[in-house]
Amino acid sequence: MRPLTLRKLLLTCAALAGVLLLMVFFSLKFGTRSISMFDLASLLYHSAMGQSDQVSSDFRLIVLDIRWPRILLAMIVGASLSVAGASFQALLRNPLADPYVLGVSSGAALGSILSLIWFAELPGATPFGAFAGAVAATAAVYFLGRRGGDLDSYALLLGGIITASFLSALIMFLMTTISGRELRGMAFWLMGDLSTPSPVAPGWLFLVLVVGVGAIYTTAADLNLLLGGEQEAMHLGVDVVRVKLVVYLGASVLTGLAVSVSGAIGYVGLIVPHLVRLLFGSDYRLLIPATALGGAIAVVLADTLARTLVAPTQLPVGAMTALVGAPVFIYLLRRRMA
Amino acid sequence: MKTNHTRIWVAIGWMLLSAFSAPAQAAQVAPATPPGPPVAPAKAAEALVESHDDLGRLVRLPAAPQRIVSLAPSLTETVFALELGDRLAGVTDFCDYPPEALTRPRVGGPINPNLEQIVSLHPDVVLATRAMNRRETVEALERLGISVYATDARTVDDVIASTRRLGKALGAEVRGEALAAGMEQRLAELARRLAGRPARRVFFVVWTDPIISTGPHTFLADALRRAGAESVVTVSQDWPQISIEEVLRQNPEYLVFSGTHPDDPQNTINSLQKRPGWSSLEAVREKNFAVVSEALDRPAPRLLDAIEDLARQIHPEAFPTAPAPKPREPGNARGGRL
Amino acid sequence: MNPGGQTAEQANSASPTGPARPRPPEPPRVTVELASYSYAPEGGASLFTLEATSFDVRSRELLAILGRNGSGKSTLLRLLSGTLPPLSGRVQLEGFEVNRLDLRTRAQRIAMVQQETPLLFPVRVWDFVMQGRHPYSRGLRFETEEDGAVVRHALYEAGADSLRTRWMHKLSGGEKQRAVLARALAQQPMLLLLDEPTLHLDIAAQVDLLRRLRRIANESGYAIVVVTHELNLAAEFADRIVLLDRGKTLRVGKPVEVYEQELLQQVFGTLLHVEHTARGTPKVTFSGKETE
Repeated sequence: MRPLTLRKLLLTCAALAGVLLLMVFFSLKFGTRSISMFDLASLLYHSAMGQSDQVSSDFRLIVLDIRWPRILLAMIVGASLSVAGASFQALLRNPLADPYVLGVSSGAALGSILSLIWFAELPGATPFGAFAGAVAATAAVYFLGRRGGDLDSYALLLGGIITASFLSALIMFLMTTISGRELRGMAFWLMGDLSTPSPVAPGWLFLVLVVGVGAIYTTAADLNLLLGGEQEAMHLGVDVVRVKLVVYLGASVLTGLAVSVSGAIGYVGLIVPHLVRLLFGSDYRLLIPATALGGAIAVVLADTLARTLVAPTQLPVGAMTALVGAPVFIYLLRRRMA
Repeated sequence: MKTNHTRIWVAIGWMLLSAFSAPAQAAQVAPATPPGPPVAPAKAAEALVESHDDLGRLVRLPAAPQRIVSLAPSLTETVFALELGDRLAGVTDFCDYPPEALTRPRVGGPINPNLEQIVSLHPDVVLATRAMNRRETVEALERLGISVYATDARTVDDVIASTRRLGKALGAEVRGEALAAGMEQRLAELARRLAGRPARRVFFVVWTDPIISTGPHTFLADALRRAGAESVVTVSQDWPQISIEEVLRQNPEYLVFSGTHPDDPQNTINSLQKRPGWSSLEAVREKNFAVVSEALDRPAPRLLDAIEDLARQIHPEAFPTAPAPKPREPGNARGGRL
Repeated sequence: MNPGGQTAEQANSASPTGPARPRPPEPPRVTVELASYSYAPEGGASLFTLEATSFDVRSRELLAILGRNGSGKSTLLRLLSGTLPPLSGRVQLEGFEVNRLDLRTRAQRIAMVQQETPLLFPVRVWDFVMQGRHPYSRGLRFETEEDGAVVRHALYEAGADSLRTRWMHKLSGGEKQRAVLARALAQQPMLLLLDEPTLHLDIAAQVDLLRRLRRIANESGYAIVVVTHELNLAAEFADRIVLLDRGKTLRVGKPVEVYEQELLQQVFGTLLHVEHTARGTPKVTFSGKETE
């Protein structure tokens, strides 16, 4: 019986971080033009040493200006979605919950469509509109889910599902009225697409990620108890009302962050937490950092495949995660039933 | 528990292995790109000329760009029409006209072109158009230090002006002027022939199930007008869905089909005669159909051929003398009264 | 580990928000003074009322709350646990109103065993029982040596020692109940509350549980309150009974004082027969056939 200790936590995270680093390295290597390991290593070395004149500008352009920002985005999105998914699974006490079940992504999609219609000329309108839409949906579902100052899981779930379908209907209505050219871009975004560099500096995105995950992590021990029922958790001294609110807000912010950057990439928030649980157990003190790293690994892998499988054509990342995610999900389901 | 863990790690390892072998093969299958490892060709210290593109953006290009990448089929066609086809370094997957375009390296689709591929081709200029490309793509290319020239043609007249401007920007001012003047001349001649004749009321059938047509503000609608036709659709949406009752109420004189409609137009027409609603249309009963090539909706010089072709089909009496067969490019469907 | 499960340090310290743990022989005392509760939907007539009731619970005592479904047993239990504020009167643990205690302190003093324990994800018994230490640590709450010792003792007291490494969802009903009891004991409470703990158990498990409760009450000094409708088990194992009927407290006292035939018949609405055995414990029997 090996209980969770700080040492085990740090070791697991270090191992996962190592896998992530490896994944990033290979992702930098592969693309439309494959770069040999040696060239890549020397490129990174020279850049780090500040000797960028030693490096061909072609390599630099491709690896540092095109691939690296994209990989960075993939990591941030992957970590956000996975932690959000794991959090919603605890909050709603439902293993089928994913980041989109409470309508946050529909709100983001609506926000981005509206900003396309009204503010098409402003650069970066789409991501900000998406985030605003996500925040609005979060607030709406919060008020729907409130019962006397506390968030009720069932009311939350119902409110979220209703909000999601209502917003989807609105989106469909709008999509038939806006003209064709915006529509094409929109379809790609709705599927999940990392090829568009974000207008927001990655540093800010990373900050939001850290704040969101950090806030949720403060309740990690409480979440373990919450899984066993709210009454039980309360009798064990958990401030259930506060914990639910923090987790709800944190997970919604993380989802909004991910969706506004890359559109709705599916399956990551649902599957990665379960895979991590399979490997490392359900203790949220370990689950949260491990899913963050696991999600980053998953999306970087999916994105690398998306842009190399049928190069030069690029598949949307969401298609990749669905193609891999659905069979994995079926496998997990059957395992559970067995 | 140990065996489960091992199995999972093995599965992950296998997935990673297979994931990484696939891209390597894909990269080798990708079309030949300039052999590497390349050092960026020292750009000849040519003077850069400033010009304004269709969107009013300031663009700096060499006086006669030698390496052009086109991000839309219409742009590819125009570049070939300007006799600069051999300077095309890259085209989209959908650029199919003229046939020589098929030999050029591909860079992906217009919505989501492969940035790495474009960068590797070292273009002097990338051509984009508002109708088919996303602003995010343009912004991303500019951030990578690549000049982008954007066109925006919403009417037939725009096409002429745009062609003229593009010819000048690409260092083919003379040819561009000749093309534009030729198009103006043909339009004037057509207008003369059609003078005094009322425009034929037509219904352009984009799709039959559901019925989709074109609104009055599209490029296609303008082209129709120049051919002496007027779309009966009053809805201001660009590609509205119309009910069969509305079509019956409008009672168009002609039905116009695009030659690239999936079914052979003859089959479509025959099947429509058997369908309720459609069979009551005067145009169906009288077999007043016109079939045009997809060039009618493409803002490129070939547009004029399509306009003339359509005019001939719906205003046959305006062209009494059997014309010397105009040099017809392959791909134009023959239509007329059947 | 002395009775009550406290170390020497804990015994002599007093927390500013709750009662200090005194050394025995002063028994911890729960007093219920004229506490009542009422639940009514907005604007409507009151749906349920628990009328003012008074009694107390001493340490080493097993108190059983008896009554039919809907008589207010669970509500009374929740008043005792501090999760419901009484409409009138008060419920105190060692002089402090339980409803006013902060969550953390309350969890260190009062432990509750509910009817059902939902489990979402697989968890081992050890980790499950370790949850009982939650009120004593902060932050990420990694388990300490002391936590380990407390959990081991709690498992032993609950008779769940052999279950330590098993998965919770693979336990039988009785085993699971013992694990839940162990978790409650790991909280090192003064007051242990159980809401119909025998509901899903077979006879052997029921008897085993009550016997165990009796023993740990005697040995470790807990004050235990059990809500049940098992008349004979209550009579056998409880020191005193609180008999509820439709929100009213009809009687508080030893089983032999409370188990009057007419009274029980009135409360439970069925014909029964109360025997007083030689040992002094009353026994309730039901006739199987239809009588007048």
